[in-house]
Parts: sequence; structure tokens; C-alpha cells
Amino acid sequence: MLTRLIIAAFVLSCTAIAGAYALAFLPAGAPPLAAWGLALGSAGVLAAVMALGAARHGRLRPIPLAAAILTFLTVAGAFAAALLLPPNEGKAAVLVLGFPLRTAIVLYGVGVVPMLFLPVAYALSFDDDTLTEADLERVRRAARERQA
Amino acid sequence: MRAWLLLQAGAPAMRHPVILAIAVGYFLVVGAIGVWAARRTRNARDFFVAGQGIGIVPLAIAAMASTLSGFAFIGGPGLVYSVGTGAVFLVLSASITNTLGAWVLAKRMRLLGEARGLITIPDAIAARFRSPAAQGLSAVAMLVAIVGYMATNFLALGLVIDAMFGTGLSLGVWLAMLVTLSYTVTGGILAGVYTDLFEGLVKTVASVTVFYFVLQAGGGMAGISRAITAVDATFLGPWGKLPALSALSLFFVFGLGSLGQPHIAHKYYMLKDPRRLKWYPMLMSLAMSLTLLLYVGVGLAMRAKVASGALPPLVRADDATPAFVLAFTPSAVAGLVFAGVIAAGMSTVNSFMNIGAAALTHDLPRAFGRRVGNELRWGRIWTLVLSLVAVVVAQFSGTLVAFLGIFGYGLFASTLVPALAIGLNWQGATREGAVASIATGLTLTLMLETLAYFRVFSLPAGVTVSGLSLLLSLLVFFAVSWFTRARAASQLDSDIRVVMEV
Repeated sequence: MLTRLIIAAFVLSCTAIAGAYALAFLPAGAPPLAAWGLALGSAGVLAAVMALGAARHGRLRPIPLAAAILTFLTVAGAFAAALLLPPNEGKAAVLVLGFPLRTAIVLYGVGVVPMLFLPVAYALSFDDDTLTEADLERVRRAARERQA
Repeated sequence: MRAWLLLQAGAPAMRHPVILAIAVGYFLVVGAIGVWAARRTRNARDFFVAGQGIGIVPLAIAAMASTLSGFAFIGGPGLVYSVGTGAVFLVLSASITNTLGAWVLAKRMRLLGEARGLITIPDAIAARFRSPAAQGLSAVAMLVAIVGYMATNFLALGLVIDAMFGTGLSLGVWLAMLVTLSYTVTGGILAGVYTDLFEGLVKTVASVTVFYFVLQAGGGMAGISRAITAVDATFLGPWGKLPALSALSLFFVFGLGSLGQPHIAHKYYMLKDPRRLKWYPMLMSLAMSLTLLLYVGVGLAMRAKVASGALPPLVRADDATPAFVLAFTPSAVAGLVFAGVIAAGMSTVNSFMNIGAAALTHDLPRAFGRRVGNELRWGRIWTLVLSLVAVVVAQFSGTLVAFLGIFGYGLFASTLVPALAIGLNWQGATREGAVASIATGLTLTLMLETLAYFRVFSLPAGVTVSGLSLLLSLLVFFAVSWFTRARAASQLDSDIRVVMEV
């Protein structure tokens, strides 16, 4: 059931991207809605494929689940903020950590923040939720049985 | 490739004795690693997957070195100089893709190596779907992209060698091929991984050092931004000079497409202890973020210098890195950067030599139900043949090389992401879906890129061939798998099912 949900989310995200690309073919060019399709669709495919990879036995444990949700919220949120906030990158630009506000939200929100929690989430969940000694032994046993 | 041509502009200054000494020292270390690895390469398993004996630190740094080709040091900063923050969207997803790759691919690939002793990417696809057709088709797609990548990098390396040693372009290309070939053909991927480790360290040190000089020359990041925003209101906008759709399209292709890059995925087979994967995302993210500082910093610093009138505009954007290091850093740092550029090209070529040889020695014969008797010997022979073909293409085809180099990433993504990355994690995927998606990605990429190259047809702004091909191959994969879903369970061997479940 969980896998089906993840695949559905993945296909839905792909459909959003397809919609964005389709809108770009309009004679007048891509309307603003197209960027929203790509922003949310891209965040969706990355979070969905992450959840798909982290799921085991049709279940997603709390840490990988939180990582996938947080990835979607961070990426989609940063892109949404950049699309929603008024442009202010000229002479009077307010700089945040060295960049104009909208740019800082995208560069730090998408380019840095996930790096602060994803590797930690992976390491924290590895021993119990990703690959145990028992898992390895199960794979080796299956290989031996196949060879026999 | 256009990026590299511009290195010639800095040729005289690049012949500074300190720069040359560092380059020569670099080649000597690479040669020594090649000799060491050659003595330890005794069979095809050693040659193609380093005997499955690589530690997590060398693996992570080698993966970073292979991921970031010369583009990260030359073309990338040039693109940042041209289109501002829009160019950062090529690498923005690196904050996610390292962990993503570990969750989606690393464990499954390594366990497939454990269960079946697999050595290539098409091997994994064949085992997952019990399909020689999928193995053969994915091998063909990889070979098409590999020859282009290799030719582009040989040409680029030849230009750098010519600029540094005054050899002339033709001899430079041959020298680049011979140096890379010498350690790849003897030491196989073992030599490749350890030269990648050395090259990765060179690139990281060079990037961090140059970034220090970027901040110093520009008055910090705020100083750089102030200089740029004073004259240009869009350059430092969230999408830079690109339309939002184009920037986001780059994010999609380089984010999801990272799961289809065979020179990275192939390295997962080589890890000695699969339980050490725990630290892979952390190591890879650290190495990648440090090495990308140069990519982001140099282009912005050069644009700030031009905006403030301190420097005249660059004639060619790709001069950004050579111009910056020659003007604002000591000769030793410039030498380190140019060694890093050579390192980047060689580490990428070496990986492609190896997986290309594996496709010819191992995958294509198996796709036709045959097996090569001595895979080590034939692996070496095919490495040589592929290198010769790539050099000939690089020498005689001019703009074709640039064309071949452009679509490599997209071709890998559209042909391998569905069957490999999704296929290894979704038991509902079918053989028919895998074959259809690989065929779709291969056909669409070749057709659309060729039509665009000959200006017969062009896509609207914001839609890229690689993005469209990746998207359509994914949709075909899901659609065909859904229509043939009744066959999914019967196409899965019991040991592969275990690998997918754990």
C-alpha cells in the first residue's frame, strides 16, 4: 500500500512537470503557472524517490519518513518563496548571508539546508532501518540457496 | 568543450615554472599510483570493480571526483559569470542527491554485488528484470554517451596540456590519452579509484583555497553582491539571467538524473564493507560542497570585478577561472587549480574508459547469450580501442565533439533512471517497462538533440531535451509496467527480491 502511494506521488509529480513543459509550448510562452509545476514537481519526484529507496517491507520508519517530508517542504517552500516574494535584487537589495533575500532563500534553503539534515538522518537510521547484519546475512543466504 | 578552448587564452602565463612543476608533480603521482595498482590487478573482478575492496573514504572522494568533471572548474564558473545564480541550478541539488543516491542505489547495488557478483550497471538491470535485451540496450546507450564524453574530455585535456607545455593541440590530445590510458589499461578501476582519490583531494584543496581568495578579492560575499546588484538587478535574482522555468528544469534534470550516472553507480559495487555506507552521504556531501565553492565563487567574483570597473569584461565567459587565478592568486595556487582541471578531466575519462570497456567485454556479449573467455585481457583491449576511437573523434570531428559531449548526462539519465533507480526499488516494475523506457530515452535524446543540432527543430525556452527525455522515459516506464503488471512477480528471482526487500 505504501509503495503504491509513493509511486502515485511520483507519477503525480511527473505529471506536474509534464504540465509545466506542455504550457511552455503555448504560443505566448510559458505562463507563471508553469514554473510552479516544475518547482513542486521537482521537489515531489526527489522526495518520492527518496521515500521509495528508504522504504523496507512496505514500511517507512520515522526518520526516513521525516527526511523525505522535510526535503519536500524545504525544496518546495524555498522555490515557492522565490516565486511569491516581490523581486528586490537591485541597488536597494537587502542582503541575507551575502545574497539578496529571494536568492538567499533558494541557495541556502535548497543548496545547504538539506545537506545539514539528510546525511545525519541517513546515518542515524542506518543501523536499524537501512542495513543490519541480519539483512546482510539474509542476502548471503539467498545467494547461497540460488547457487545450490 | 567550448569552455576548454578558452584556456588557450591564458597559455603564456600558464607556462610559469611553478605551475609547470606542480603539473609535472601531479603526473608523477598519478603514474606511481598506476604502477602500484597494476601489480594488484590480477583478474576481471579486480579490473572492473577493484576486487570489491575499496574503503568508504576513497570511495566517497573518488565518487565526488568523477561527478565533478572539468566543467566544475572551467565551464561552470564561466556559466555563473554569464547567467548568474541561474547557473547554480546545475549543482543546487547536490545537497540532496548524495543522500538520495545512498538510499536509492548504493545499498541495492552493493547487495547485488554481494548476491550475484555483478560488475556492471547493465548487469544490475539484467539481473533485476531477467532481461538480456535490457542489458544490451542499456549497454548501447551507455556506449554512445561514453564515446562523446571521452572525446570531449580528451580534447579538453589536450588543450590544457598544450597551454601548459606548448605541445600543440594534436600531440596534447594524444598525450592526455596515453597518460590516462597507461594507468587505466594496466591498473583498471583500482588505479582509477586511487587516482580519483588523489585528484579529488587536489580539487578540494584547490577549490577551498581559491574561494578564500575570492572572498578576499571581492570584499566578502556581501561586497561581491553589492558590486553586482549596483549595476544589474537580475544577475543575482533567484533564477539569475535564466527564465524560472529553465533554472527549475536544470534542477529537475540534475537532481533526479544523478541517479542514472553509471560512473557513480558503478562505484557502489566496489565498497569493501557495505555497512560502512552509513557514512557515505556525510563524506560525499562534505567533499562535494567544498569542491563546489570554486564553481559558485569565481564566476560571481569576476562579474563583481567587471561590474565595479576593476577589470574589463571577459572576451569569453569561460576565461573566468584562468583569469581569476592568474590575476588574484599566487602561482602555486594557480598551479594547483590547473592540476585540478587536469585531474577533473582524467578522473572522468578513466571512469568512462572502464565502464565502456565493461559494456563491450561483458554486457554486449551476454546480451547475445555469449561469454568472453578472458575478460581481463579483453577489458584491456577494449579500453585501448575505445580510447583510440575517442581520440580520433576528438581530433577529426570538430563541433561534433561538443555535440556528443552535451547530451551525455541527459542520455544516461533518461535511459538509466527508470530501469535502474526505480526498477531496483519497485517490485511492480516489469521487463517490458524497463526495455520501453530505455528505448524511449535513447531514441528521444538522439533524435531531439540531432534535430536541435542541425537547427531543424528547437524546443521552447525552459524545456530541455534532457528534461523532456527523462520525463517521457519515466512516464513510459510507469505506463508500460502498469499495463504489463500481471507479469511483474514472475520476472523477479528470489535472491533479487531479497535484495529489494532489505
